[in-house]
Amino acid sequence: MKKSLMLLLASLLLVLAACGNSTKQSSDAGDNENQKKNEKSEVNLYTSRHYDVDNELYKKFEDETGIKVNVIKGEADELIERIKREGTATKADLFLTADVGRLYRAKEQGLLQAVSSDILSKQIPEKFRDSDDMWVGLTKRARILVYNKDKVKPEELSTYEALTDDAWKGRFLVRSSESVYNQSLLASFIEINGEEKAKEWAQGIVNNMARSPEGGDRDQAKAIAAGIGDVAIMNTYYLGQMLNSQEPEEVKVAEQLGIFFPNQETTGTHVNISGAGVVKGSKNADNALKLLEFLTGEEAQFTFAEANYEYPVNEDVEPAELLKSWGEFKEQEIPLTALGENNAKAIMIFNEVGWK
Amino acid sequence: MNRRMANVNGWTIGAVLIITLLFVPNFSIVGGVFTPASENWGHIREFMLLNYIKSSLTLVFFTALFTVAIGLSLAWLIAQYDFPLRNFMKWSLILPLSIPPFIGAYTYHGILNYTGIVQKTLRNHFDVTVNQTYFDIMNVPGAIFIYTIFLYPYVYMITRIFLSNQAASLVESARTLGKGPMEIFLKVIIPISRISVIGGVSLVILEVLNDYGVVKYFGIQTFSTAIFQTWFGLGDLDSSIKLAACLMGIVIFILVIEWVLRGGKKYSFSSTKLRPLPLVKLTGKKAALVSAYTLVIFTIAFLIPVLQLLDWVVLTFGKVPMEEVLTYTKNSIIVAGIAALLIIFFSLVIGNFSRITKHKFAKVLPKLTVLGYSIPGAVIAVAVVTTFIAIDRYLAPVYQFLGLDSELVLSVSLVMLISAYIIRFFAIGYNSIESGYTKIGTDFRDASRMLGVSSLRTFFKIDIPMMKGAIISGFILTFVDILKEIPLTLILRPFNYDTLATKAFQYASDEKIMEASQASLLIVGVSAIAIFIFNKLLGEGRE
Repeated sequence: MKKSLMLLLASLLLVLAACGNSTKQSSDAGDNENQKKNEKSEVNLYTSRHYDVDNELYKKFEDETGIKVNVIKGEADELIERIKREGTATKADLFLTADVGRLYRAKEQGLLQAVSSDILSKQIPEKFRDSDDMWVGLTKRARILVYNKDKVKPEELSTYEALTDDAWKGRFLVRSSESVYNQSLLASFIEINGEEKAKEWAQGIVNNMARSPEGGDRDQAKAIAAGIGDVAIMNTYYLGQMLNSQEPEEVKVAEQLGIFFPNQETTGTHVNISGAGVVKGSKNADNALKLLEFLTGEEAQFTFAEANYEYPVNEDVEPAELLKSWGEFKEQEIPLTALGENNAKAIMIFNEVGWK
Repeated sequence: MNRRMANVNGWTIGAVLIITLLFVPNFSIVGGVFTPASENWGHIREFMLLNYIKSSLTLVFFTALFTVAIGLSLAWLIAQYDFPLRNFMKWSLILPLSIPPFIGAYTYHGILNYTGIVQKTLRNHFDVTVNQTYFDIMNVPGAIFIYTIFLYPYVYMITRIFLSNQAASLVESARTLGKGPMEIFLKVIIPISRISVIGGVSLVILEVLNDYGVVKYFGIQTFSTAIFQTWFGLGDLDSSIKLAACLMGIVIFILVIEWVLRGGKKYSFSSTKLRPLPLVKLTGKKAALVSAYTLVIFTIAFLIPVLQLLDWVVLTFGKVPMEEVLTYTKNSIIVAGIAALLIIFFSLVIGNFSRITKHKFAKVLPKLTVLGYSIPGAVIAVAVVTTFIAIDRYLAPVYQFLGLDSELVLSVSLVMLISAYIIRFFAIGYNSIESGYTKIGTDFRDASRMLGVSSLRTFFKIDIPMMKGAIISGFILTFVDILKEIPLTLILRPFNYDTLATKAFQYASDEKIMEASQASLLIVGVSAIAIFIFNKLLGEGRE
């Protein structure tokens, strides 16, 4: 019996050891490489953006500076949680995300450090930088209205607020409240109009919905083409992508849509940003800063705009032709941090009024 | 008594050790239940909880019902009858398992929506514009459809293997007694396949409860969306862990029911005459009907989505760099393979411990390892990160001694990811191994032990060879499931490490489903090859 016990334990240990060993070797190897890289220097990103254009830009940065860019991609909140738990030992140098609310959260949780440089201040308008220099914007997108050109005249549209009128009953389309873009939109109204008004708005929108929210932004556009509703809220770059889709039918759908920037006479169209901040425990903060400067530089900003139909934050860079053809517009003038501050309130309102 | 105590020792230590390792990271979740409720909890209870429970239970109930109906009927037809296409269908009907439900959901939505192939063709070639409500699958019935067609193979596969190998004598006796096919199905097949059906459907239920991709895309509020909404939206990890614990409670309830349903009843056949069921040849109308039925299921659950993916691959060809794709494929196969192997090994140890130890504790304890399957992936990820960082801190002096200049070693390596897979997917492998043990019973083992052969030798010489089927099917099921996994992989992988699933997910979450098609199709391809190999290995010498 003892023999079998020993054998069992031995085999178990063997497996554990084998697995431990092989991975130890690989991480050993990784670390040796890291040491070598440290001489050449590197920068570690945790990012929730996963566009192919980002990878191209990282490669370009590597080629130009010799600084190796290492990436972990994940969902923003999970990455925040991971950085938090890694604490001072974290390997993360830069945290990148596609929504300002998450940058705010990372800052609130004390995960970011202030960085500033003349280059950054020159390349990014103050409006798209954190007041304490904890993060900077990289690209922006507007949350606009699209409408069925056959059924709606642009004169009928004016503001986000006016969409709660009875005239739009059963004609309005929007995706679910789980979308962070909707959360940020409502958060901006809380900031501008106060919580009560924001709640009335959300309730009014729910009353006017053509159908219960489903699908993504592109699905709202398709629903207009299909005649389910007449007006929808959408992010600008999705429209850009549809107009340039490989699927001719998607192009057709997008071409049927009119584009309207709401609240031009009043508080401005809602904008959100992708942005990044240097992580507090960063061991390569200088490289992280260099990458930030690179990503907000003219070349990178142009690439973002051309490949992804995002608006550049660097004012020296023009938007892609397509976006330019839609015209200039007045933006909401609230501090972007408000979107983060009001996020939880917005979600509660969505739940209370039954915006799925 | 003495011998029993001795018997307990070897396997007990191994089993308890593994179970503890599997369970440690989950403690941080179980602990979360006892933290005081935050202010959000009232809000969640008032506005969200009831909806979550309702829609989760609706999804679970109907998916379970339909997967049993389809899985069991297919298993029965394939196990008992010979008809055109049978040999092809026998293994092809498992293939839908290779399509992750969220990819399936995107694909079917892609096919049916306004710009999809169906409506596009009707509109452009026949000038027909259809009523959108008939083509809308982004709702609860749509989700039930998606889960049913992509998850029924769990029931089908486990039940078919059982029926093919076990049902011969019972079915033959029934036939001799002059019972017709319907009566045999109702009075013999259903009762004797109860165990395997319950085993299969409990996997289906756990998978549905845990799914995030489909319900998120369709805009259905369930427990798993609630957990994410609370954690990410309200930034309240404590409340979301509370919700996760509620979910765990439901799962434990289901497991207890499962246990009660099959408890005590062991259909183990200790006769050496384990014969496969002789097939009854169908002809004419009956044969056509049965062939058509299997063909329809196969077409809907596999052929159509794969053709759509192929179409998209062609449309977007060259958009995704090829050399990267090869790396993702290699990464996926290696991590899924290692994790699945370890899961099977651990399952064999625990399963054997549970089988040979007479104490109640030995029957209940292994059930705990299944809990990993009930916790949403992202929550496990947080638990695992916490645990590994603690281990890294603890090992810091060792790292220093080894001359590593880093504080984090294990937690930035694949060890962490693989451990998380093991915790998450242990249930899949264990389920298979456990039913394998149930099937072979303990008689052969007892005989071997009586003849003085050691426990370990018996294990390798008697049990393992008899368990070949269970081991292979357990491995393949786990492998395929890990290949499809998203949240754990996203958050726990090392730097610059992508798998097919993460790649597909990233495109899909940017609403670029066409670009996601290449990685999706590769997941399907790799899984299909695994399933094919499994069928080859298992099929030989059986029929």
